[in-house]
Amino acid sequence: MNRRSFVKKVLNGSIAGSLYLVWPMGSGSLEISQQIPEQIPGIREKEYDILNQEFAFIVDITRCIGCGSCCVADKREYNVPDGNYRTWVERYVKGFSDKIYVDSPNGGLEGYQHPRTDIEEKIRDTFFVPKLCNMCKEAPCVQVCPVGATFISPDGFVLVDEKRCVGCAYCIQACPYSVRFIHPDKKTVEKCTWCYQRVRKGLLPACVEVCPTGARKFGSMKDETSEVYKILKGPGVLTVLKKEMGTFPALYYKGARREVI
Amino acid sequence: MDLSYRLRLFIVLLSIVVLTVGALLFKNLLIPDSFGIYGYYRADAISEAALVPIRHWTNISCFKCHPYEAKIHKKGHHQTISCEFCHGTYADHVKNGKKIGTLPVKKEKEITTLCLKCHNTEIKARKEEVIKTIAMPNHLKDQNVKLTHNCNQCHHVHAPLKYIIRAKQITRMMEAGS
Repeated sequence: MNRRSFVKKVLNGSIAGSLYLVWPMGSGSLEISQQIPEQIPGIREKEYDILNQEFAFIVDITRCIGCGSCCVADKREYNVPDGNYRTWVERYVKGFSDKIYVDSPNGGLEGYQHPRTDIEEKIRDTFFVPKLCNMCKEAPCVQVCPVGATFISPDGFVLVDEKRCVGCAYCIQACPYSVRFIHPDKKTVEKCTWCYQRVRKGLLPACVEVCPTGARKFGSMKDETSEVYKILKGPGVLTVLKKEMGTFPALYYKGARREVI
Repeated sequence: MDLSYRLRLFIVLLSIVVLTVGALLFKNLLIPDSFGIYGYYRADAISEAALVPIRHWTNISCFKCHPYEAKIHKKGHHQTISCEFCHGTYADHVKNGKKIGTLPVKKEKEITTLCLKCHNTEIKARKEEVIKTIAMPNHLKDQNVKLTHNCNQCHHVHAPLKYIIRAKQITRMMEAGS
């Protein structure tokens, strides 16, 4: 090898090498994980250990203003067909006779713009209750599924396997919280997943992300600095829905009145 | 005699073996690959659920290309509101770093309707420390403006008190000057 060919080869090599470094960044789109800052600390830094995860969801009823942001976000995130709701917001009105009036026009998608006019007695208390999947640790829907299409994943999410679901709707009857429905086109069961795909990317569920008042909180219980961990560890009163059913939900309510079911 | 006896026994045993192996193969064929790794379900369904594309990004994603709106939005009282609530999802707007569609911008009466989704005093469930509410049209009367006014004629939609604070500063300056 003479000097000329040596210099040529070195130059070619360095050009090719630098191109190799630059090329993948220019052409392919970047991973979402590199474009959006992490919202749930500790998910991205190491490989996701599915057997060693725990998450909790807290709904703060005292902060919910019934704007419907969460419902809109949920509908858009999953293109939920009209008339079905993965999450919705209920309005509770309590009269002085202790009678409870609950309504949820269009699942709260349009927000609550007008007060109820059909209540004749004096109103004592009124509040909004967002509803979504409770992610039970003893899930009735999982127990009844005949084909193993709905299951509790090792990290605590109750999910539906679309490919296995036969659409028998047994789980819809079993769910005490009515969060499931049959998708009119797919003919399989759909439900709130706490945005599993977002959580795995280190992002908050869509409804938590858009909530303007912080009424919905989500976080990892393995992270002792997370807001949900601090709330659950703290002295505040948290309740779960239908405790007597023995479903052990991972969804907690803060400020929920006795009447909330 | 003896031979046919053995042959029959062999046929019986062979058919048992063939049937068992056949049944096992058939069962194996019916059970999906990853079934039973974690429990009575397909473990691959978990990774499939994790691969569903996301449609809502975050305000930070929007701010990257809209620095002017970002500057106003981040300073105002509406900073906790998601861009995607009023304008639509990021996935309808950008794909692989390229613009694929225009998101709607709310106009005139639509804005008033949107504001009143949250700021209507008539809905008593809204606490003062969480959100400031007003009654329509009393608010317009109190502020001495026409009843046909839309909210955004006084309030910047991204930072509702932007113009109000500025106006107060100017009037105070004028008072001090006179």
